[in-house]
Amino acid sequence: MNIVVLAKQVPDPEALVEISAGGKKLEIEQKFATNLFDEFAIEEALRIREKHAGKVKVITLGGGKATEVIRTGIAMGADEALLLEDEAFLDGDGYATALALSRAAAKEPFDIILCGRQAIDHDRGEVGQMVAQFLGLPHVGNVVKLDIADGKAVAESAIEGGKEIVEVQLPAVFTAQKGLNEPRVPQIMGVMKAMKVQIPKATLGDLGLSPEEAGLKGSKVRIEKYLSPKKRPPMQLITGEPMQAAAEAIRILIDVERVI
Amino acid sequence: MDKVLIFVEAKGDEPRKASLELLSEGRKLAESGQYSVEAVFAGKLSDTLKEKILGYTERLVHFTDQVLEHYTAQGFSLALAAYAQETDAKMILAGATRIGRDFMPRLAVLLHTGIASDVTEARWLENPMTFVRPIYGGKVLAEVSFSTFPVIVTARPNSFGIEEPSLKKGEIVEKQTGVSAEQVTTKVVRIDESSQAKVDLTEADLIVVGGRGMKTAENFKLLEDLAEVIGATVGATRPVVDTKWRDQTDQVGKSGKTVSPKLYIGAGISGAIHHIMGMDTSKVILAINKDPNAIIFDYADYGIVGDLFEIIPAMTEELKKRLGK
Ligand SMILES: Cc1cc2nc3c(=O)[nH]c(=O)nc-3n(C[C@H](O)[C@H](O)[C@H](O)COP(=O)(O)OP(=O)(O)OC[C@H]3O[C@@H](n4cnc5c(N)ncnc54)[C@H](O)[C@@H]3O)c2cc1C
Ligand SMILES: Nc1ncnc2c1ncn2[C@@H]1O[C@H](COP(=O)(O)O)[C@@H](O)[C@H]1O
Repeated sequence: MNIVVLAKQVPDPEALVEISAGGKKLEIEQKFATNLFDEFAIEEALRIREKHAGKVKVITLGGGKATEVIRTGIAMGADEALLLEDEAFLDGDGYATALALSRAAAKEPFDIILCGRQAIDHDRGEVGQMVAQFLGLPHVGNVVKLDIADGKAVAESAIEGGKEIVEVQLPAVFTAQKGLNEPRVPQIMGVMKAMKVQIPKATLGDLGLSPEEAGLKGSKVRIEKYLSPKKRPPMQLITGEPMQAAAEAIRILIDVERVI
Repeated sequence: MDKVLIFVEAKGDEPRKASLELLSEGRKLAESGQYSVEAVFAGKLSDTLKEKILGYTERLVHFTDQVLEHYTAQGFSLALAAYAQETDAKMILAGATRIGRDFMPRLAVLLHTGIASDVTEARWLENPMTFVRPIYGGKVLAEVSFSTFPVIVTARPNSFGIEEPSLKKGEIVEKQTGVSAEQVTTKVVRIDESSQAKVDLTEADLIVVGGRGMKTAENFKLLEDLAEVIGATVGATRPVVDTKWRDQTDQVGKSGKTVSPKLYIGAGISGAIHHIMGMDTSKVILAINKDPNAIIFDYADYGIVGDLFEIIPAMTEELKKRLGK
């Protein structure tokens, strides 16, 4: 089983994000974490390898701190890695990012691609499905259970109000949802290995891409500017004994806010 | 005139709310005289459902291929891509529901174009057309534009208003898109419906959410009772889901669902940023917590400091009185 995991380093959910340069830029506090959903993807890949043998390769696209996600992957137990680090790959939309990642994944034969349901920086939830389409493969989204047997996968996908059980022939793409597993904590040996590992890199040329097809230049959707969300007015405290406060709350919701 | 396609999704005989919102926006687009708007539906279409959609559109195109009877990402994206190419569509819209978010990115790749996912505002008639989507869990909004056509958008439920259906009904056209069974390589074995919630959290107008302050799974009955009176859907925080008091599908927040109701009532919730990220675009927020310093009060419109076990039942009683139930 050759398993590719697409994983991304993202700002920590608690990192401060501020708009600067009149809406043209974001200042993001330098605190990072592996994208939550990608940790489930890495863990699932390792579990599949433990059961069916094979290897796990973590691929990431990004500059600077992006190597951290690869080191996390190796520390957890991944066998190989690939970093798409070229400046030209950066700041892409879902389309450009998925195109580059699909080329990177397809450099060697694989059976499974695992990614996260969504990267919690830009909250797009697009790349997994797009990678699948670029490679002409099926995908199953929001996966909370995955069983592999006889070149096939049976996946449980979380849907509104329940689960959909889907059977699919490999190779295929799966996007991980919370509930799939509990990611392991890296062991000290893994961490040591991860610190020393030489991370192979790929450039645009290695993936057969031109500068017009990648990153910001290759994007079909562009960010024009950043805006602040609407601020709520200060909270109004509803006081009094429980009965009184409850009645007052209901009055406000019905008569003032008219939401009930 | 430029063609706009609106993908309509339904639950039984009811069009999904996100679809009705887009159909209502579509009417405005049609009225502008710049666009001709079509609703597109795939799968089984009952007469009741047909009537309901036709009140919102001049033309409903029904894809009748056998393979589209049940949803698959491959089937739906191929069908819509074929029809979009045939009609030279300039814009394709769908609700940012589970299904919309699942297959529309594939459609974008098939049509060599981009997608703006989960948008909350649209400036359809401006040049360039721009869309607003929350990023970083809603800490910031990004205004985006397209450099290619068609423009593909999924819209977060509860972002646009729903208008009254018009009396003038549109026409219906049946269409075979030519997608074949061989092109769909996933097979749905079965669907397990676990919760019978009438309305999904992401689409509900009214939501009542419980946190760890609820103390036990059984106590959620108090929230169920309140929800029952006003037809709300019950949600939960992550620790509540992790301790199995509630199902994963009920989780609101960063690693759960993003909700945007008219009213969010939160009880026994501290207001951790991971939770706030999933509910901050709610219109009215009422928080109940016994700790006056709970962070959730910083994000609420209204707050009650007190014991939820007293306040929630009192609210339920008061509602019954006010609503005559
Ligand atoms: C990567 C990551 C992702 C996460 N994703 C999510 C997510 O999607 N959704 C989510 O919700 N959380 C998420 N979390 C967890 C989040 O950080 C908080 O731990 C969680 O939201 C806290 O839940 P809570 O408010 O129910 O519990 P607590 O923080 O324990 O708060 C309980 C509150 O109840 C109040 N209370 C207790 N008894 C009563 C009473 N009788 N009456 C009134 N009030 C009472 C207390 O004062 C307290 O404020 C995530 C965390 C991480 C690290
Ligand atoms: N730059 C990237 N590098 C590696 N994987 C990525 C990258 N961007 C997105 N992905 C993968 O695609 C998933 C969905 O991302 P997105 O569509 O950006 O929300 C993520 O959870 C990752 O698994």
